[in-house]
Amino acid sequence: MHMNFSIAPSDPTPIYRQIVDQVRRQMAGGQLRPGMELPSVRALAQQHAINPMTVSKAYSLLESEGLLERRRGMGMVVAGQGAHRAVDPERLLAPLLQALVRQAAELGLPPETLHRLIDQTLDNTSDRETP
Amino acid sequence: MTRIAIEARDLQLAYQRKTILNHLNLAVPEGAVLGLVGRNGAGKSTLMRCLTGLVKPTQGSCRIGGYPSQDLADEVRERLGVVAQTPDLFEWLTGEQHFEQIGTMYRDWQHDRARALAAQLDLPLLTPARALSLGDQQKLAVVLALGHDPDWLLLDEPVASLDPVARRAFMRALFDRVEREDPRTVIISSHLLSDLERVVSHVAFMRQGRIQLMDAWDVLAEQVRCVQGPEAPPPDCVLAQTADGRWIVDLRRAPPGMQGEAMNLEDLFEGLNA
Repeated sequence: MHMNFSIAPSDPTPIYRQIVDQVRRQMAGGQLRPGMELPSVRALAQQHAINPMTVSKAYSLLESEGLLERRRGMGMVVAGQGAHRAVDPERLLAPLLQALVRQAAELGLPPETLHRLIDQTLDNTSDRETP
Repeated sequence: MTRIAIEARDLQLAYQRKTILNHLNLAVPEGAVLGLVGRNGAGKSTLMRCLTGLVKPTQGSCRIGGYPSQDLADEVRERLGVVAQTPDLFEWLTGEQHFEQIGTMYRDWQHDRARALAAQLDLPLLTPARALSLGDQQKLAVVLALGHDPDWLLLDEPVASLDPVARRAFMRALFDRVEREDPRTVIISSHLLSDLERVVSHVAFMRQGRIQLMDAWDVLAEQVRCVQGPEAPPPDCVLAQTADGRWIVDLRRAPPGMQGEAMNLEDLFEGLNA
């Protein structure tokens, strides 16, 4: 099955984590729907020239969280109904928000300024999107 | 617990009164792909040569699959694949002729497998080794080391002269093996760190004849952080100090809540060798 994973080996995020995050995002975004089959461990490892154990680890983690199911004769598929609730969009944003808060602190910006900047950005974005 | 496939205990080696290996200990779990990294002269090649029994240490011992490296029986040696830093080839023989020579030496040698691998790496098999580019000589050495589907594979800078496409093909070949019960254990030294990040399960950082830090790479990527002052973190958790005065910290030993920047393999390599 066709799936666009991008693997960045020099990213400090471990590769298994990169796969887990991408599956989560694609589930949240609806590109991956219940019942869709994921590439086999071997195929994904060969495609990206990575260690198959890394792919196994990512899939097992997603399976243990109920997002993927091992189906006989098929391999890994996206789990049904309940799984979508397991993908919490707020949690997916958490790392970005943490990075934002950390950088704001490094720049010496007080929380009020950060709030104001976020509001401004939201306003600007919605202005642009409203015709 | 996982079995230990390759092991060095209290390894010491002095050469012309210079210490090359300094009470080095290493335990590589079965099925691991260990990236051995360190600066030039850290002792990586010497360690590899001790592990394969080519060099006798001044003190200490090495084992492969539980067998002493210094005294490997032929049937154990057959399960070992080695690529030395300088390709070890008969310069008047072609790739095909190498296959025939080597094939007679290994019980599990598979001609078709070697040919397929050569094709994947784009290696000409009818040219004498002396007429091959350095990159193609390295490829031939790699094919020869993999052609008998070894259980243990030790590779010393195997891809330094390979182009990026050939390096990808090589990395895929590392995991291509006939179905066996025992997974293959690999040690690979390289300065091409982003290549290593793709394939390693573990990384060992070597410096001045010792293993400075070794662990599963996922664990190091998640637990080692670069921390900015002003206050020094507790010494227990500090692995090293970077050239610009920041601290490399193992979060598993740090006070809870400590934060810092994540590091990739190159960052960590640089930090540990400052």
